[in-house]
Amino acid sequence: MSAPTLKIACALAAAGLLAAASRADTTLKLVEVLTSPERTETLQSLVNTFEKQNPGTHVEITSLAWSSAFEKFATMVSAGDTPDVVEMPDRWLSLYVRNGNLENLEPYLAQWSDTKGLNDRTLETARAVDKTAYLLPYGLYMRALFYNKVLFKQAGIAAPPKTMDEFRDDARKIAALPGKSGYCLRGGPGGLNAWIMFGAAMAGNNIFFKPDGSSTLTDPGWIKGTAWTVNLYKDGLAPRDSVNWGFNEIVAGFYSGTCAMLDQDTDALIAIAERMKPEQFGVAPMPKGPAGKAYPTVGYAGWSIFKSSLHKDLDWKLIKALDDPAGNLIWNKRVGALPIFKAAEQAPFYSSDQLKGWFQELSDPDEVPTLMPTNLPGFAYFADSLVVRTGQQALLGQISPEDMNKQWAAYLTKAKLKQLSGK
Amino acid sequence: MTWRGAARAAEPYFYTLPAVMLICAVMLMPLLIGLTYAFHDVRLLDPMSGDFVGLEHFRELNADPAFWNALRNTVTWTAASVTLQFGLGLVLALLLNRLFPGRALVQLLVFLPWAIPSFLSGLNWAWLFNPVVGPLPYWLHAIGAMADADNLLSHPRHALWGPIIANVWWGIPFFAITLLAALQSIPADIYEAAAIDGAGPWIRFRRITLPFLAPTMAITILLRTVWIANFADLIVIMTKGGPADSTQILASYIFTQAFQRLDFGYASAVATVLLALLLAYAMALMVLRAALMRRN
Amino acid sequence: METHGKSYWAIHYLLLAAFVVFALFPLFWLLKVSITPNDLLYSEGVRLWPSRITADHYASVIAHSQFPLFFRNSVIVATTTALFSTLLAAAAGYGFSRFQFRAKFWIVGLMLITQMFPLVMIIAPIFRLLKPLGLTNSLAGLVIVYTAFNVPFASFLMQSFFDAIPKDLEEAAMLDGANRFAAFRKIIVPLTLPGLAATVGFVFTAAWSELLFALMLNSSSAASTFPVGLLAFVSKFSVDFGQMMAAGVLALLPVCLFFVFIQRYLVQGLTAGAVKG
Repeated sequence: MSAPTLKIACALAAAGLLAAASRADTTLKLVEVLTSPERTETLQSLVNTFEKQNPGTHVEITSLAWSSAFEKFATMVSAGDTPDVVEMPDRWLSLYVRNGNLENLEPYLAQWSDTKGLNDRTLETARAVDKTAYLLPYGLYMRALFYNKVLFKQAGIAAPPKTMDEFRDDARKIAALPGKSGYCLRGGPGGLNAWIMFGAAMAGNNIFFKPDGSSTLTDPGWIKGTAWTVNLYKDGLAPRDSVNWGFNEIVAGFYSGTCAMLDQDTDALIAIAERMKPEQFGVAPMPKGPAGKAYPTVGYAGWSIFKSSLHKDLDWKLIKALDDPAGNLIWNKRVGALPIFKAAEQAPFYSSDQLKGWFQELSDPDEVPTLMPTNLPGFAYFADSLVVRTGQQALLGQISPEDMNKQWAAYLTKAKLKQLSGK
Repeated sequence: MTWRGAARAAEPYFYTLPAVMLICAVMLMPLLIGLTYAFHDVRLLDPMSGDFVGLEHFRELNADPAFWNALRNTVTWTAASVTLQFGLGLVLALLLNRLFPGRALVQLLVFLPWAIPSFLSGLNWAWLFNPVVGPLPYWLHAIGAMADADNLLSHPRHALWGPIIANVWWGIPFFAITLLAALQSIPADIYEAAAIDGAGPWIRFRRITLPFLAPTMAITILLRTVWIANFADLIVIMTKGGPADSTQILASYIFTQAFQRLDFGYASAVATVLLALLLAYAMALMVLRAALMRRN
Repeated sequence: METHGKSYWAIHYLLLAAFVVFALFPLFWLLKVSITPNDLLYSEGVRLWPSRITADHYASVIAHSQFPLFFRNSVIVATTTALFSTLLAAAAGYGFSRFQFRAKFWIVGLMLITQMFPLVMIIAPIFRLLKPLGLTNSLAGLVIVYTAFNVPFASFLMQSFFDAIPKDLEEAAMLDGANRFAAFRKIIVPLTLPGLAATVGFVFTAAWSELLFALMLNSSSAASTFPVGLLAFVSKFSVDFGQMMAAGVLALLPVCLFFVFIQRYLVQGLTAGAVKG
């Protein structure tokens, strides 16, 4: 063959290969972490729709068991086994952002037609770290008060408590019933939110840090809040065993009728509704403190794209399929989070009796949704280890509430200063 | 050296090398890497970490009350578990060493606890100790062991006994089966000869059974101690180290530091201390065994 | 065998009964929870037997979950590990038992040390080691890791069994012209069948119930073993105790079968007279 012919032949071959490559299948790796069998099913069906609309794309779902998801995912990422799209809980966000793993989603949001339909809280939480959107939330989890209507009737209580004083009173009346307790206290892992809610309600504000970066937890109002919670346990208004209770135990305690009141998010509704009849329980806004306000904590989870992904545009398309108004509604019906779109709140699904409690909270100006400072470095250790240990010590009377607050404040101040100084 | 001589000298390696090569390839390198973490600031998912920090972590753990608490608990946990497992396992092995109708079935039944994964066993026992769904609190209260029908696992002073009991339940088959296999290889005629000479059962036990069992006993106790000291599963499942760290042992403390704080450097330092302690224990045991064998 | 009086046997059986009850009671509870319907799980928790029983949990586990796949994987991994480990361990144990050689101290030390370091700390390095070799998310990777971890214990165990057999046996055979390896295979190994059986049984069960590595090294369900499958019953929203206990009971079956199989080797005594010869 002559030289020019050879060149043309090579060029054609290359073009042919390229064309073939672009027609070849791309596989996206999607990791979910808040796994449950029903959820995976819903996710799979949303993904199937996506695959049909984008021929040549295949999505491989990896489902991590939640109880070990944190360590498992951290191990995978640190060894270079990264996904394209991952379900990102609020607590993990700052860790992976600071590690440089997550893609900035602002450019994608700017071009998306549905962005203006998102409610303000969604955008606020999306930008929780560095005021830049590193995840697109799929829903908000907000705390509310579950109460056992049957036990309330037995104790002669007509309505759920509106203030903390009423709460304590009701708890006392129910604890007087044989074998029953007033409050499903979460003394084990994950109990931080309750400590914060009652602490903030007593303090009358949900400000965690003073302008100079030091923690407000040593203020007398917060200490009163902590002491109030400790007294619930000491005075026998929570089960003796609850010092060790985690998520599963408090929810089980509630639906087994052992304790009458439980503070939890919308997703606990799924587990409870499966095991209790609608007339047996109700949901009310969190009780207000002496300043007339309550501070239910708000959590969120969403979808993030990994910087290491080779198909970022396709990843964003997948996220849109999961999180656009249609997909988000389907997803949240299964997952039980509050929707991210303003319009969705009108959907018939959200006007059910139980969910009314949350929407009551949302429309009450004295119920102030509170974001936890999850973007602090070392927050996970604080919440999962330090708080658990010192909280249990305080409940058991080994240290005083003031002591505990001091330890928390010291740790949080250090973390805040580290965050402010540089990162 | 002749070919013969060389071949003879190489013989032991022929037998041991396959195992050694596998272990070196798969475990030695990661182990060494893990040990080096103890001297570096290694934080998972922190791109700024990785500096050499010398003995910093060891100074930190020396001043850490949580570390000393975990160390104390580790000693209690290991000593109680091993003693009870061994003692009860030996009794069971002796019982099974006699022929009786249904022995095969009994052997299978008492072996079953070992077949349950520790995770499931932990959940099962936590369930049993929970007054809402389990019978144990009521029984313990009925026999006077507990003041109220409470959950043993939420009493800071006694919570460690919950995982210990679960561990003993799980571990008896280990000793029972290994000791039984060893007992089975003692030739019956030795016993017969001794009986003819007039030796009673206790003398036969001391002079025949124990010496025959000694090598197996030594190695099983050593290994079991080492494993139990590192075995945090039951504790993590049943009490998560609580309440208030009263059931936290070094192994679970290492897990917390490594995977909640993501501080692999500090966790490795604690692991290195544990390793050193266990090595010292192993050496002490070897010296003791050598001394005993010399006496005989 | 000496004869014993009635009171001896009475105590004997009493003690055995105590052990059997202690061993079986938690398993009975496992079974009980596995047949209790969800709505009675808490309200009838303390009863010894539920008022209504159900096979739903077993049906869900077998038909609607991936448990058959997980079982299959576990069987493959456990039997392969048991075979390889016992082979390597029998050889190494024999080497330790019969020879005194310079490297022995170091090899034994190495094996001991690998048992003393908490596995949690070496998971990340092992993951990084296996990933480029394509051995993560695979059953083969698990077999390799499990074998490496079990061989030390198995070797020491085999060594103690070999120690109980006098050296003269193979020396006699070697004087007759056989080489050591043939003597090992034909004479020594049959005598240590109880030891081999015990070792195989232990390694099988250890590999069968191992959770940490199975969880961290493998992510896809095609490569998951059954303990990992059990973990999936603990979701963020609830612990599906009924199904989890049902899966646990089902998982006992292969182990039982395996144990029944090695049973007859385990209790084989030396009454065959081999030692006398």
